[in-house]
Amino acid sequence: MAVAERLVVERASKTFSGGELTVFADLDLAVRDQESVCVLGPSGCGKTTLLRAMHGLVGLDEGRIVVDGSVVVRPRSNVAMVFQHFGLMPWKSVTANVAYGLELAGVARQEIAERVTRYVELVGLKGFERSYPHTLSGGMQQRVGLARALALEPDILLMDEPFGSLDAQTREILQDELLSILQTTGVRGGRSPATMVFITHSIEEAIALGDRIVVLSARPARIRETISVDIPRPRTVASVIAHPRFVELRDRCWRLLRERTA
Amino acid sequence: MTVGEAQRAAGTRAGALAAARRRRLRLDLGDWGVRIGSVLFVLAVWEFVAPRFNPLIIRPPTHIFRAFGELIATGELQEALGQSLREFSGGLVIALTLGILLGIASGRWRFVYNAIDPIVSALYSVPSVALVPLIAVAFGKGSLGDGPRIATVALFAIFPILINTQQGVRNVDRSLLEVARAFNTSERRLWTDLIIPSATPFILAGVRLGIGRGLIGMIVSEFLIGLVGLGYLIIVYENVFRIDRMFVPVIVVATMGIVLMGLVQWIEGRVAPWTRREQ
Repeated sequence: MAVAERLVVERASKTFSGGELTVFADLDLAVRDQESVCVLGPSGCGKTTLLRAMHGLVGLDEGRIVVDGSVVVRPRSNVAMVFQHFGLMPWKSVTANVAYGLELAGVARQEIAERVTRYVELVGLKGFERSYPHTLSGGMQQRVGLARALALEPDILLMDEPFGSLDAQTREILQDELLSILQTTGVRGGRSPATMVFITHSIEEAIALGDRIVVLSARPARIRETISVDIPRPRTVASVIAHPRFVELRDRCWRLLRERTA
Repeated sequence: MTVGEAQRAAGTRAGALAAARRRRLRLDLGDWGVRIGSVLFVLAVWEFVAPRFNPLIIRPPTHIFRAFGELIATGELQEALGQSLREFSGGLVIALTLGILLGIASGRWRFVYNAIDPIVSALYSVPSVALVPLIAVAFGKGSLGDGPRIATVALFAIFPILINTQQGVRNVDRSLLEVARAFNTSERRLWTDLIIPSATPFILAGVRLGIGRGLIGMIVSEFLIGLVGLGYLIIVYENVFRIDRMFVPVIVVATMGIVLMGLVQWIEGRVAPWTRREQ
């Protein structure tokens, strides 16, 4: 079933400031089931706005976004988002933060407890269940953000530069763990890995995590090119960087990002 | 260093930092030593300097302490304190209820904000003392009950509580509001998960300010409406030049302030531990 399209962006345009500022224009993008698509673009090119539109958090001016055959108008319970700013509630413990999405989705109490235990352990936070976010490092806070999204057992993961504010070493550790979570156990503890859209401005991150890379131009963002990452899975960050294709892919992305005009 | 080791090292470092931060914030033995020491120092200087002045103006702490015993022995202090506490607690409960409710409503709904903001700004800018005679008149000249004094305490205390609550509700982190939307929050859960908890530190800071102002309101109302309670003791012993006795209710009010504000600060640390950093 791996070829079915899960998330389709059709001729999407978005402007801000009463039409004066075009964020992106005429975007077309299709994400297949179980596919990881990395959206790569310069800072401020509207990547985040595109992702928010995919979750129905902002409306489009033109075009539409379709998930599983129906147009997105508001957040859906089978789609989960991870934020660059972590977005944790400072007054909730790790457990309560991870349980948050499940409670809102109306999952039964017993099931919530089981899933919280499972996903807190999966992201390596066992022993920190009762800690509060302000006592955790940035990397650990984002593990909580990741567990909160994974606990929903979503069909689609929307990642908004989730590791962008972390230091290089922590970022690489979390990239590896995300790869291993998606590749080995699958998001559903044994079932198929999720479809993922991952926003980033890091070329290495896009190559390491993506099956395909969508390179956007500077604002107004248009798709410059879509690149297939033909590096086999299972991957680790180290194995991707060591792969013969890596340098070539990186140079290609780099040139695309550097070119000024379409 | 392997990845695992780096991770563990980072974790330990973060843990140690967090612990150090907590240590700095809690008042440890040294802090208490300095606090008590400074009070004792002021008392010692006072004790030493006071006898050089006219006893009609200032009396040393030991005399005040003796006067404290006298006022307890006659029962005057207990009676006055009971009276004042009744007024103060009544007024504070009203200020808390109205202040928090109006603060939440005006922080959340534009209509309520527009409706009450000019009035709140006006009443908050006018010295509350100037409004006390108005309260007395409003309750009727012959009124001997605690009503007008309770209303005065409420008037003094309500504004910092209301304004802080309003700010707290309006200052909800926008990115967290988006997170709430992304997880399909309901309006009710928006309040319980986001708005109320994020406003709590603001509300408690307002309550702390309100307590200070409420105590002033309590004494002022006792001066101006009916002469009762601790305010009465101050006036009556000032009039007969018993400065030592006059200071007893003053110190009792000061102690009430210290205890109540400390209590609120303690509650703040318990219910809003994430703000301890800022204190």
